[in-house]
Amino acid sequence: MLTSLLKIAWRNIIRSKGFSFINIMGLAIGMASSMLIIMWIYSEVTYEDFHENKDRIYEAWNRASFSGKLQCWNTTPKILARTVEKDLPEVEQAVRVDWTSHFLFSVGDKRITEAGNIVDSNFLQVFTFPLLRGEPQTVLREHNSIVLTRSFSQTLFGNQDPVGQTVKIDNNQDFTVTGILAELPKNTRFEFDYLVPWSYKRSIGDDDSYWGNNSTRTYVELKPNASLASANEKMKVLKPRYQPEDSTWEMFLYPMGKWRLYSSFTDGQEDGGGRIAYVRWFGVIALFILLIACINFMNLSTARSERRAKEVGIRKVVGARKQGLISQFIGESILMSVIAGILALILVTLSLPGFNRLTDKTLQIDYSNPYFWMLFLGFVLFTGLLAGSYPAFFLSSFQPLKALKGVITNVNTLVTPRKMLVILQFTFGIILMICTIIVRQQINYAQQRETGYNKNNLIYHHFTGDIPKNYRLIKSELLSSGAASSVAITSAPITQSWSDGWGQEWEGKDPNDKTDFYRYNEEEDLGETVGLTFVQGRDFDLSQYPTDSTAMIINETALKVMKFDNPIGQIVKDNGEEWHIVGVIKDFILTSPYQPTSPMLIYGAKSWFYTLLIKLNHDRSTAENLKTAEGIFKKYNPEYPFDYQFVDEEYAQKFANEKRTGTLAGLFSALAILISCLGLFGLATYMAESRIKEIGIRKVLGASVVGLTSLLTKDFLKLVIVSFLLAAPLAWWAMHHWLQSYPYHTPIRWEVFVMTGLLSALIAVMTVGFQAIKAALTNPVGSIKNE
Amino acid sequence: MIKTVNLTKVYRTDEVETTALNGVNIDIKEGEFVSVMGPSGCGKSTLLNVLGMIDNPTSGEYLFNGEEVGHLSERKRSNVRKHNLGFVFQSFNLIDELTVYENVELPMLYTKVPSSERKKRVEELLEGMNIMHRRNHFPQQLSGGQQQRVAVARAIVNKPKLILADEPTGNLDSANGDEVMKILADLNATGTTILMVTHSQYCAEFGNRIIRMLDGQVVTENVVKQYM
Repeated sequence: MLTSLLKIAWRNIIRSKGFSFINIMGLAIGMASSMLIIMWIYSEVTYEDFHENKDRIYEAWNRASFSGKLQCWNTTPKILARTVEKDLPEVEQAVRVDWTSHFLFSVGDKRITEAGNIVDSNFLQVFTFPLLRGEPQTVLREHNSIVLTRSFSQTLFGNQDPVGQTVKIDNNQDFTVTGILAELPKNTRFEFDYLVPWSYKRSIGDDDSYWGNNSTRTYVELKPNASLASANEKMKVLKPRYQPEDSTWEMFLYPMGKWRLYSSFTDGQEDGGGRIAYVRWFGVIALFILLIACINFMNLSTARSERRAKEVGIRKVVGARKQGLISQFIGESILMSVIAGILALILVTLSLPGFNRLTDKTLQIDYSNPYFWMLFLGFVLFTGLLAGSYPAFFLSSFQPLKALKGVITNVNTLVTPRKMLVILQFTFGIILMICTIIVRQQINYAQQRETGYNKNNLIYHHFTGDIPKNYRLIKSELLSSGAASSVAITSAPITQSWSDGWGQEWEGKDPNDKTDFYRYNEEEDLGETVGLTFVQGRDFDLSQYPTDSTAMIINETALKVMKFDNPIGQIVKDNGEEWHIVGVIKDFILTSPYQPTSPMLIYGAKSWFYTLLIKLNHDRSTAENLKTAEGIFKKYNPEYPFDYQFVDEEYAQKFANEKRTGTLAGLFSALAILISCLGLFGLATYMAESRIKEIGIRKVLGASVVGLTSLLTKDFLKLVIVSFLLAAPLAWWAMHHWLQSYPYHTPIRWEVFVMTGLLSALIAVMTVGFQAIKAALTNPVGSIKNE
Repeated sequence: MIKTVNLTKVYRTDEVETTALNGVNIDIKEGEFVSVMGPSGCGKSTLLNVLGMIDNPTSGEYLFNGEEVGHLSERKRSNVRKHNLGFVFQSFNLIDELTVYENVELPMLYTKVPSSERKKRVEELLEGMNIMHRRNHFPQQLSGGQQQRVAVARAIVNKPKLILADEPTGNLDSANGDEVMKILADLNATGTTILMVTHSQYCAEFGNRIIRMLDGQVVTENVVKQYM
């Protein structure tokens, strides 16, 4: 019986090659798209899944109120780790992980700058990063020990045994390699090529036990079976205990399983935003694309039912039962989905590198993993069932007598399941199309926003090696050589905020005001170098005004907060210093181009610096300027590479995430529309075939080709119009919701909807029109005889 | 074998009500070969379909082997059908995707005949019908006469007690038609009951009784030859 069914299924596929091609290709593209998205989702939901104690690892967070709003963030005082180990009986151990360091490594003649972390020595006991050499308990115990990843150790030592070798860090201290780590998995927040014990931080004077300095991340491992609730009760009161002035400031432990997807907070509570929103949206898209492909299958199978009706009739007459026929048709669709699944696997394998680039992932298929094949089989069966269920019930329910006579359904009914399915397909495709356009508009909108400074010909270089000592010499030589037209020394790149804080004091301040200000430092010439606009006062100028070392420049938003009538000359107290305001600048975008600008304070020379901002001379070529600059840096900082960044490139990075979303939405909407059009083409072919006699009669009676084409196209156009009417409000709702997460966002324009409506109608007309014109051009003599 | 009492079949659409069978009373004994004749639309095919249990009567009784079957569920009808009835249609109704062999084998798949037995029966029948050499061909590759012989083979492969034939020679030339009629007559001679709808007087006379219908009613019953 089974062989007979398989045989008939196979012969059906072969006999209607065109339909089978459309069916299988549609399914294959749909399955491939869904598989890619499912792989992406899988990689997201399995973040940090490989840590043995993942269920017991937490990150310490703060929850405190500023300007009436409860805020949550995850930088903590350095003293916290040892405190929780002492005060919370639930805690097994705690570990601090410092911000990423970029140390210079020297081995023999080699000089390499690489990124890594300074961590507490128990880091590898809490987190499961497998050691190829060394023991997690001991590798970071000694003050001058260092653990390298295998690839970095190969870069430094080639094929020599790295363990026991010495490496100099920042031309400062020698470290002995005590352990080698396997390459880090990609689905972790940690990214380092080496680990250095916390004692190094102490030795360079960068450790403190001040409860007011939230400057590191603290991770906590609870004891097995310890209660999180009871640990959190104790966390809540920790800060007020040690820093009584922060009486309402709470701390809490946030579980590892939620770090990646859920850590988005509004008013002190998880707000359901964060990456989980993307995971959900992508899940919906995967399901819908698969559904669209399955709908093609359903529509084409039921549209061709007249051809299968006779078979159903005969089988019923000779004794087949409905259940038997249902299994037969579902079996056929599973066979189709197996073929499509194999094609999809090939498509996925071919498109994976591109998809990885697009999503900034390193997804791969583990063909040797039996679980993969089980999942794949499950996916194929699911698709086969989804696609085959409706046709199976539809076909098997024919009355044998009617089926034999070929009398089946009324094609012209107002609402048929097939029409509804086409509407569902196009509704989804149009929604995605509108979303793609609006996402792109939002990116353009933010990109066109006035940055408030001039990014062109602007580069920056961090302080490394001897730069802090020699920066005045570097600056003067850059200017005298003609490589730069202006140079400023600042705390951070002009595209980043490295410091912010509250608690500044000024005359007339509301005592309850807890406004958080961005802090930025410059020595002088920042205004000229990046092109800031001063609305009042001036830039710092140490040669004319030596007291400018404690001067301050504020932006317009800060002025609004401080409510000065005459800001120039006003005093702002911060960090135990009195700063006098000498200038007010127009707001510029320091961090997110989607957020309103924050109040910002620029401190004078009596602060700290870490960055050189260089305006290259626009009268000379960039290459020439960079070559001269490199020579100057080499001269004054010989041990370190000339490692500069272009500010405009750095600024463009701010749009990377949205661009990725936009590209993916565009890709999937194109695929959804393509698959829907494949189905529409198939339906149009069928329609042209089944109405060939009607077309013949109409032609004989005098219908024109244009008239006939529009007659045949009209029905499909109606469906697309209904789809559009359904899609437009849904897309508006989704995009309105999405845009709300950007305080600075584009309005939703009606033109987008008009354009999408016309475009989808055009695509539908072009898809159907080909078959319609072909049918309208057929010689009526042949079709009328064809009784 | 077959007895109907006041059998009625009414087709209803939104506006029109058509009475296809109007109080039909017939009685067919086991081993008979009955031909049904009448002009187009007189209800003869409807009668065949109702008696063949692929359509339900609107009212009246239909006793098959003494059992009321006119109002059984589809499931039960299907069961009675596959064990007792064989069908031959004017348009052959072979499955295009199956070969000659597979078409004939099909009814036995639903009655769960073991594979070796199926092979034996199909080959015997194809041999007997002189189409063995065509066993691996598809219906489209055969002549009309050959197709109808395959259809007859399929109808009798489960050894049914009753064969229902709807214009079995309607699409055939006279030579092929004759051949099919001979096969039916031979089957009847071996004890199979046959009920055949036909337009052709010539074919009708292969039977031992002719029922004439008009407007859904039986008008006359002529005995052609005495049923043995």
